[in-house]
Amino acid sequence: MPDNGEARPFRPKLRAGARFGADAAQRPILLFEDVYKSYRPGAPVLRGMNLVIERGEFVFFTGASGAGKSTLLRLLYRAETVDEGRILFMGRDVARLTPDSVPFLRRNIGCVFQDFKLAGAWSVYENVAITLEVLGLPQRLIRARASEALDRVGLSGRGSDPAAVLSGGEQQRVAIARAIVGEPALLLADEPTGNLDPQLAIDILGLFEEINESGTTVLFATHDRSLLELRSRRIVVLDNGKAVDVRSGIAPETIESDFDNELPV
Amino acid sequence: MFDLSSATTRRAKRGLRREWRLHVLSVFSLSVAFVCLAASLLVVTNLQAIERRWARAGRASVYLKDDATSADVTQLKDALAKVPGVTAVRYVSSGQARDQFAKDDDPKGALAALPAEAFPASIEVDVQADVTDEGLADIVSKLEKLPAVDGVETYQSWTERLARLVRGGVAASAVLAVIVLLSVLAVVGSTMRFVLQRRRAEVEVLRLVGATDSFVKAPFVIEGSLQGALGATVAVALLGAMFLIVHSRIDGELAMLIGVEPSFLPWPFVLGMVALGAILGAAAASLGLRRLVQV
Repeated sequence: MPDNGEARPFRPKLRAGARFGADAAQRPILLFEDVYKSYRPGAPVLRGMNLVIERGEFVFFTGASGAGKSTLLRLLYRAETVDEGRILFMGRDVARLTPDSVPFLRRNIGCVFQDFKLAGAWSVYENVAITLEVLGLPQRLIRARASEALDRVGLSGRGSDPAAVLSGGEQQRVAIARAIVGEPALLLADEPTGNLDPQLAIDILGLFEEINESGTTVLFATHDRSLLELRSRRIVVLDNGKAVDVRSGIAPETIESDFDNELPV
Repeated sequence: MFDLSSATTRRAKRGLRREWRLHVLSVFSLSVAFVCLAASLLVVTNLQAIERRWARAGRASVYLKDDATSADVTQLKDALAKVPGVTAVRYVSSGQARDQFAKDDDPKGALAALPAEAFPASIEVDVQADVTDEGLADIVSKLEKLPAVDGVETYQSWTERLARLVRGGVAASAVLAVIVLLSVLAVVGSTMRFVLQRRRAEVEVLRLVGATDSFVKAPFVIEGSLQGALGATVAVALLGAMFLIVHSRIDGELAMLIGVEPSFLPWPFVLGMVALGAILGAAAASLGLRRLVQV
């Protein structure tokens, strides 16, 4: 409560974590325990994967095509469920959420994809504002926060443009604005630079780093070696269905051997 | 304050604007189904009005034998006037019956050559409207036993025929209502599934940002509801226009023949049909979207 008697601006609690006890803030934001996932019998994508992600981390996920990067992210926002094991997000087992709870999980996770996943017929503003409309916030607040998010990704003044007419880089910025406007605890990026030229890719990576600096945990799946070499970040390599954690960067030769030369050089 | 409803309405409006051709086609299909239902209801309500009119007629014609004397007639009139429920008794001679027939039913005089004897003399009896069928039948059976009476016509058989016709009409309307219901479910359900496919990207985005099933479905349900309501409204408007055209042409003759002026569907029926369209449309859209696009 404000002690000076002045009214605070309305700020909804969007983070589910805010409802948890004080100890919740001390727990890792993500915990993978013996996670198994397969699409075909006898060919598991993830086989007993274990991993801990702390709050506020920026983690690159990398690995050869089919190594399970996208699967891992899909498991996180419950587009898929694990066959065995547990994924704890803020202490809650994602796989055990009821279907009715899944939307509430997703309100705490921002997602950015290689193919942007925008509604092309909607305007830029509408694509961003929908995240807040789902929460039932007042239009006044939605307008203010959507504009703020668009400003943050460098698209201020472009709100009325149809999303379909934007360039690839601009569309990805809209997708990022949509992902961050709800101030999610976790931001998932599945090959977000896959369709962009190298300079744009670096710009977009910089945007994710800025978002991370404000406290949001970022999981960035990519097989773009140049991006991995560009920054000294924690890198998790997915190989043979398990996560190999490299906390302080990775040497190029290690990457080559790990990926069996499948990475673009 | 939550602004969920306005967001939903906005999305529904946007959907209607974007897919207006599809919605117009759907409304047209629904109006065809509803016009059948409305037409049958129109026939049934008018038949019911005729039935009520004739059921209230409260008349009986006591036809006299040719050899009935004036003393018989006077005696019969006096006796009838004393029967409880009888309000008026009037003697119609053969000549008066022929003149009345020539005036009402043969204005061109095609049957003018018929002799007066061709029309039996009768005593026209008016009974109170609240006299039951059983009461009237009792009066008739007593009259038929009198020696001067040849036969009694109460028009009850006509009322019974009309009642059977009305019951048939009601049954036909019920069948049509079921057909309309199935049509609405099929048309709106298919339209909504098609619209959903066209807006797959939109639904995918909604799923990603944590929209609940009801949030995703709401605009589609509004669109379905509007389709149903518009389909019913167009149907009633079309039927109303047709009714006015027919009414202006045959109103006088028909009203004289049947004793009742034809009327359009009462307002509660019209509003009920529009409400039914809206409810069916919403239900059909909801059922059609049971399996939403999963992300």
